[in-house]
Amino acid sequence: MIPGKEAEKIPTPLTHMKCLKCGTVNSRPFKEGDYVFKEVEEKCPKCGHDKMRIIGIYVKEEKEKKKVKLF
Amino acid sequence: MSWLFQFAGGQDLLSLLMSLLWFIFMLLFLIYPTFSQKIQLSYMLRDVEKKLLKLKYFRDEVRKRTINHLNKYSDGNIEVDKGVDRLLGSVVIEPIDRDPYGIMYKLEHIVNTWEETFENEVRALCPKADEKTVKTLTNLVEVARGLDYIYRIIRHYYLLGKKTANIYTVLQVQMILPQVMEIANAYRQSSYAFAQGQPIGDGVGVLAVAKLIDGMEKKTYEIAKDTVVQETFWNGRKILVLRAKGPGGAVGKPGEGVKKLIEAEGDKVKAVITIDAGLKLEGEESGKIIEGIGAAIGGIGVERYKIEEISKAKGIPLYAFVIYESIAEAITPMRENIAKAAEKVVEKVKRLILEKIDDGATVIVAGIGNTVGIGMT
Repeated sequence: MIPGKEAEKIPTPLTHMKCLKCGTVNSRPFKEGDYVFKEVEEKCPKCGHDKMRIIGIYVKEEKEKKKVKLF
Repeated sequence: MSWLFQFAGGQDLLSLLMSLLWFIFMLLFLIYPTFSQKIQLSYMLRDVEKKLLKLKYFRDEVRKRTINHLNKYSDGNIEVDKGVDRLLGSVVIEPIDRDPYGIMYKLEHIVNTWEETFENEVRALCPKADEKTVKTLTNLVEVARGLDYIYRIIRHYYLLGKKTANIYTVLQVQMILPQVMEIANAYRQSSYAFAQGQPIGDGVGVLAVAKLIDGMEKKTYEIAKDTVVQETFWNGRKILVLRAKGPGGAVGKPGEGVKKLIEAEGDKVKAVITIDAGLKLEGEESGKIIEGIGAAIGGIGVERYKIEEISKAKGIPLYAFVIYESIAEAITPMRENIAKAAEKVVEKVKRLILEKIDDGATVIVAGIGNTVGIGMT
C-alpha cells in the first residue's frame, strides 16, 4: 500500500546566511554539507561580498488559516 | 406451505424469503453470541492491517535510504545491506534491577559498550567516512533500527491477535496506532534529516548555548566522549559552556562532563544551568520556553543522575530551561519557532546569570541535545 500524499511530504529546510561584511541576511534551500555557523563562499545579494555565515537552518512555518480555538 | 405464508403475514413469496432471512439472522446471534464480536474483530484487524502495511512501507523506505547513504561512504568489497540488517536486529540487554544498588553505573557501562560497538560497526561499513560523518551515519542506522523495531512490535500484536482471535489484544494495538503512526512518520522524516545532516528539533539546547557564546573569545577543549567545554568570561563571570561536538550527530556525555568540570573547578561553581528540548502536551505551543529547577536532560537517566549526584554533594543549585516541542518535532528538521526559541532562551539565561551568579564566580551552562547540523562557534 502506498501512503497518502500527506505522509509523502518531507519538509525541506531553508539555510539562512548572514553576510560577513554588511550583515544582510539571505536564505536559500538547504544543500547537503550546510551546517549552522559554517562560513560559506557565497555572494551577498546586497554588497557582493563572497563570504557569508550560516546563522540558521530551519523549516519555515506554514501560515495556518485563522481558526477559532476553544482551548 | 400455507403455514409458511402465514409466518410471512400471508404475503407473497418475496416477503416470505425476507422474513426467513431475518429469522435466520436473529437465530445466528442467539445461537452464536460472539458473532457480533467476530465481525467487530475482522473490522479492527483490517484497520490494523492497513496501518501495518504503511509501517512496512516506512520501514523499507528508511532501510533502503540508510543502505544507499552508507554505500556512498563504503567500498565495493563491503556488503552494506547485510551489515545494516545485522545492526537492525541487534539488541541491548538492560542490567538486572532486582538488586538496584549501582544500577546506574551498570546501565552506563552497557550503554557505552553498545554505543561504541554500534559506531565501530558503522565505521567498518563506511571506511571512506570522516569522524563527523560516522556519527551522523550511526544516528541514521539507529533511526532505521527504531522504525524496524516499531514495525516488528506492531506486527507481533497483529498476528497474535489474529491467531488467537483475541479482540482485546487487537483493540489495544488499534488504540495506540494513531500515536505510533505519528512517531513512525517522524522517524521516516528524521532519517531524511540525518542523511542530509540537517539540524533537528532536539538540537535546540545545543543551538542556544552556541548562540550564547557566539562572538566571544573562548578556550575550547574536550572533556568527555564527543563532549566539549568552551570557557569564556562575560560580565565578570566565568561561563563554562558544555555541549556535544558538532556538526556531526552526537549527544555526548553531558553528565560526565558536568561532573568532571565541578571536580576540576571546586567550590567556584555556583550554578548549573541546563537547556534542553522537552515534550509538550497537546494544545501547547511549540517553542514555548519554560523555566524550572533541576536537570533538564532526557535519555535513559545516567547523565541526569550524574549531574544530580555531584550537585547535591557540592550543594550547587540546578536551573533548567525547557523548550517545548512534540515528539515528531524533536526528531525531524528544526521548525522556525523552535529555532527562534533558541535566541529567546539566550536572553533568559543571561538574565539568570546576572541575577544568581556573583561577580567572579563560575557557572556551567549545558546545552543538551543532538548536534547534527550544528557546528562549533
